[in-house]
Amino acid sequence: MKKTAHELREIAGWMAETDIGFLELRMPGATVRLGRRSEEVVTLDDGQRADAQVDGRAGAPDQNPAGLHPDTVTAGSVGVFLHAHPCATAPFVRTGTEVLAGQTLGLLRIGVLLLPVVASRAGTVAALRAGDGATVGYGAPLVDLHSF
Amino acid sequence: MIEILSNAALATVQDLGRLGSLRFGVGTAGAMDDLALAAGNLLLGNEAGAAGIEIPVFPFKVRFTDDCAFALTGADCGARLDATPLLPWWSHQARAGQVLTLGLPQGAQRASRALLCLPGGVDVPEVLGSRSTQMRGAFGGHEGRALRKGDVLRAAEPERACRTGFGLVPPAVALPLEIGGLIALRVLPGAEYLGFDAASRDAFWASEWRITAQSDRYGYRLAGEVLQPLAPMELRSHGIVPGVIQVPHNGQPIIQMRDAQPSGGYPKFGAVIEADLWRLGQAPIGSRIRFIETRWEEAVAALEQKEAWLAKVARMVALHRSAPMEIAA
Amino acid sequence: MTSSTAGSAPTVSLLGTTALLFEAPGAMALDSQQRIWALAHEAAGWPEVREAVPGMNNLMLSFVHPPRALDALKARLDAAWEAVAPLTREGRVVELPVRYGGASGPHMADVVAHTGLSVEQIVELHSAPLYPVYALGSHPGYCYLGGMDPRLATPRRKVPVLSIPGGAVSIGGAQTGVSASAGPSGWNTIGSTTMAFFDPARNPPATLQPGDRIRFLVEGIEP
Repeated sequence: MKKTAHELREIAGWMAETDIGFLELRMPGATVRLGRRSEEVVTLDDGQRADAQVDGRAGAPDQNPAGLHPDTVTAGSVGVFLHAHPCATAPFVRTGTEVLAGQTLGLLRIGVLLLPVVASRAGTVAALRAGDGATVGYGAPLVDLHSF
Repeated sequence: MIEILSNAALATVQDLGRLGSLRFGVGTAGAMDDLALAAGNLLLGNEAGAAGIEIPVFPFKVRFTDDCAFALTGADCGARLDATPLLPWWSHQARAGQVLTLGLPQGAQRASRALLCLPGGVDVPEVLGSRSTQMRGAFGGHEGRALRKGDVLRAAEPERACRTGFGLVPPAVALPLEIGGLIALRVLPGAEYLGFDAASRDAFWASEWRITAQSDRYGYRLAGEVLQPLAPMELRSHGIVPGVIQVPHNGQPIIQMRDAQPSGGYPKFGAVIEADLWRLGQAPIGSRIRFIETRWEEAVAALEQKEAWLAKVARMVALHRSAPMEIAA
Repeated sequence: MTSSTAGSAPTVSLLGTTALLFEAPGAMALDSQQRIWALAHEAAGWPEVREAVPGMNNLMLSFVHPPRALDALKARLDAAWEAVAPLTREGRVVELPVRYGGASGPHMADVVAHTGLSVEQIVELHSAPLYPVYALGSHPGYCYLGGMDPRLATPRRKVPVLSIPGGAVSIGGAQTGVSASAGPSGWNTIGSTTMAFFDPARNPPATLQPGDRIRFLVEGIEP
């Protein structure tokens, strides 16, 4: 989960394209905070504040930083988690839905882009960890699966 | 390569239009929903103005005769690749032999045309600077006509590696414009606007207009209030462009669309602004629309807003293609 | 009947954000059209202008991008009109044999009814002049002609016809022209001819250009 400088730059590049004002990445042994100063995305030292403290973290308990389940699908980027496609009324899945490997469970909206959140294994949806329309941070838990 | 399996679909090859030959009597043609075409191209890493296939009638089926990336934008038609349902406004990868089926536009959307884009664009010859189909005169596009069952079309860059499996928030969501649930279009008054009586002018802005069945790529014939001129107007022939709203003697407006003549002589009530032509191009036959009176500055700003959306799409897609995020358990 | 060009000053109006329309004042005349050709030639070089498209004593300027400083462009256009000298060009003469009336002229009866002239009188008045090509428009290769006898003027049809064939010789208002290909039209078709007006592979693609002249020869009058 540790991010290299290159990966941090990529994440900052993504963030610059969105309306997210603040992002906190918690990793074993280190926490990195990215915020906005005027139009730029910058790393913040402890105690510094971003122009807009829109929290990019998902609601995860402190003791278990990512609240990871053995089969939890996590966010590969900051973004907005969607339970359904903007054109659709029905969500992709609900608790209890049986899914196949590769099946779309939801979408991650990053600015104008929509990326699929997919199940890498067949299983049953145990829980949707992030709400529909929730802003999530990198690594935030999205969907718990019970694999067969 | 793709093979058309459907007949009578009125599908045509279109790009963003044939510009610069109006003085020879050649109208622009081009995609009715230019925004969907540009976005579909950008999803594949194409130039925004590459040629695609505009599909206005459903069901529509094509077979991929080779492995091929493609993008589908415009109306959500419950598309399937073989049996697999596809997300709308998305890029996909087809394997040789797979059949793409588009069904009827579904859901709460008010959209009527789909755009199918291929890597590098559809490979047809450029005529007078464009690959759009010129129906009157029968040139451009694929043999200057609508596509038929058995036609085979090629992608210009079939070998190009395309990252697929991602999509866009549709512009109807990102750039909404509606009144009372109906598609709304901004209009700049035209030369003969004040030649119509006040009651007619008020009615034009206040009422709903139905797009009649006698509507197509040449023009949308509207049904609604009869617009009365203060005195009969007989004009000299003059240049017109898509979006111009003409009112012939029967008082029912006709909006000139992409295949319209580049000149005309009926009174011009106004013109739908360029920034909203894509919305109009998606409005289904039988649906009702509203008009919003606008000013030059607002209309120019609207065009800039549309262009900014496309620029954002281009940037985001380029970012994703170079540094893709994988999100899976 | 009102005309949008009543008055002595030219008018400029908008065609959405895509183009503007400049209309010359006064009666339809060849010398006005020659000034329009000259104005088109000059405006075609302006940075805002994608294309300058002459019409009948008017000029459409399509934009590369709608200019923020619209009033400045309008002022420049008005000034150029004042300053411009007619662009005289005597092009070639093309003679077109026409079969008038009958199945070749399905709307001849409407022209008879409106003008009060007989078919023979209409054919004689229509085939007498040497018609200058004022502009191209409507569809690929179509020529708008000047010089029609005003006695033949017949208003455009209340409801446009869905398709008239290529080669159709028609009257719309005070103008006449020949269709270059099949398509819809609001004009009154009085005869038929054959001619290749357009080839997209050629440069320029249109057979005729502003300044050329057309003469209609009477091949026959059908009952």
